[in-house]
Amino acid sequence: MSAYEPERDPVRVAGRVLRWAVPWLVLPAVLGIVVSGNVDVRSLPVVGPERTTAVLLLDGQAYFGHLDDSGESGTLVLRDVYYFQDARGAPTGLPVGLVLRGQEAHEPADGMRINRDKVLAIERVRADSAVARAIAAERALRATAVPAISLNRPAVAGRDALVPQRAATEQGIARGFTAAVDQLAKLNELVLPVSTGDAQAITEKALTDLRTVRRSALGAVAQVLQMTAADAEAYVRTTDAQLERSSFAADAGVLLAPDLYAIVTRASQLYAQVGDAAARQLTQATPPASAAPATSPSPATSPSPSPTTRP
Amino acid sequence: MAVATAVFVAALFFTQWWDFTLPSLGRADYQAVFLANGQTYFGRYYDRLGAYVKIEDVHYLQQTEGANPDQAPDTKLVRRGRELHSPAARMLVPRSAVLFVEDLSDASPIAQFMKQDRQ
Repeated sequence: MSAYEPERDPVRVAGRVLRWAVPWLVLPAVLGIVVSGNVDVRSLPVVGPERTTAVLLLDGQAYFGHLDDSGESGTLVLRDVYYFQDARGAPTGLPVGLVLRGQEAHEPADGMRINRDKVLAIERVRADSAVARAIAAERALRATAVPAISLNRPAVAGRDALVPQRAATEQGIARGFTAAVDQLAKLNELVLPVSTGDAQAITEKALTDLRTVRRSALGAVAQVLQMTAADAEAYVRTTDAQLERSSFAADAGVLLAPDLYAIVTRASQLYAQVGDAAARQLTQATPPASAAPATSPSPATSPSPSPTTRP
Repeated sequence: MAVATAVFVAALFFTQWWDFTLPSLGRADYQAVFLANGQTYFGRYYDRLGAYVKIEDVHYLQQTEGANPDQAPDTKLVRRGRELHSPAARMLVPRSAVLFVEDLSDASPIAQFMKQDRQ
């Protein structure tokens, strides 16, 4: 009859192995899998570059932001959200414009919860893409503070990166002006019910208003770029003179930062209002006294809450 | 402690390489993925553990209207990645958005185009 040896008892041996393996093998392996499932090692949190994600929805909308898809609730959370707005017909030269979520009529707070069942696809936005550059420029315009420690550090453009944004904004303002002037010229080619003198007076008044819109838009650009009053005045004066001689019809469009895009779209709306008012006067037998509404493009216009175009 | 650290790092990099994709033997190089919104993506489809499937080297058909409205629109196969947000090659699609998936035969002109485009 052999004596019982606790050291060789298979149950005790298995217990000892398990007690060692769970904390030193199983737990690190599970932790590694969980961390890897939620982290892209090519852009590590805290120290790595920003991770911007595109969430494309089944209805055709596209949202860009910082994605949190770690939960199992069937809901994705997107923060710092931007989206595309239909810009066909706008003088930006692109079919879409980028809009910052949060400026709609209902002023949603940050943190958009998206039903996963309504998601079509999720993609990573490259840091050198037009969308990423426009977002970084917007943060620079708004002087967004970058936290010292962040799991997804937001990228903020330098002052140099704002130069092409400013140039593209000026081009958009100029394209809108040129289109409105061309429209007026075409109207004047028609047989009008007003006298030639009246038509000339109405057209001159409209051109003056269009130039006022352009100067106001440039003033809004200077304000967004945080120029001093003296710099802003000089900027508006010199740029306005330069734009008078340029149409930029052949220049490629640049995706603008939302605040700059809002200035271009607002200016475009005002150009249209001036043109419409002049057209009404030119096509009526008795022209009314006033030619156009007040003109002051502002970057703080509220975009539509419904983005319409996927890239 | 060194063992635990080594296991953690090994698990982390193994999972990054693995990407939770499930093996599928004997399938074609490229697949057509038909989605719930009517859109079709072509690429290398991978089933994954979890809520998403993965498509790599994504292409899609793009139609452009010609100057003559009576003519049929011009259709071409476009590699995804040149859009305004320059998406990376890896696309995750929720399972709920996938209608069905089909293998592309080797003779498929779309598969041949994607093979050439990859080289």
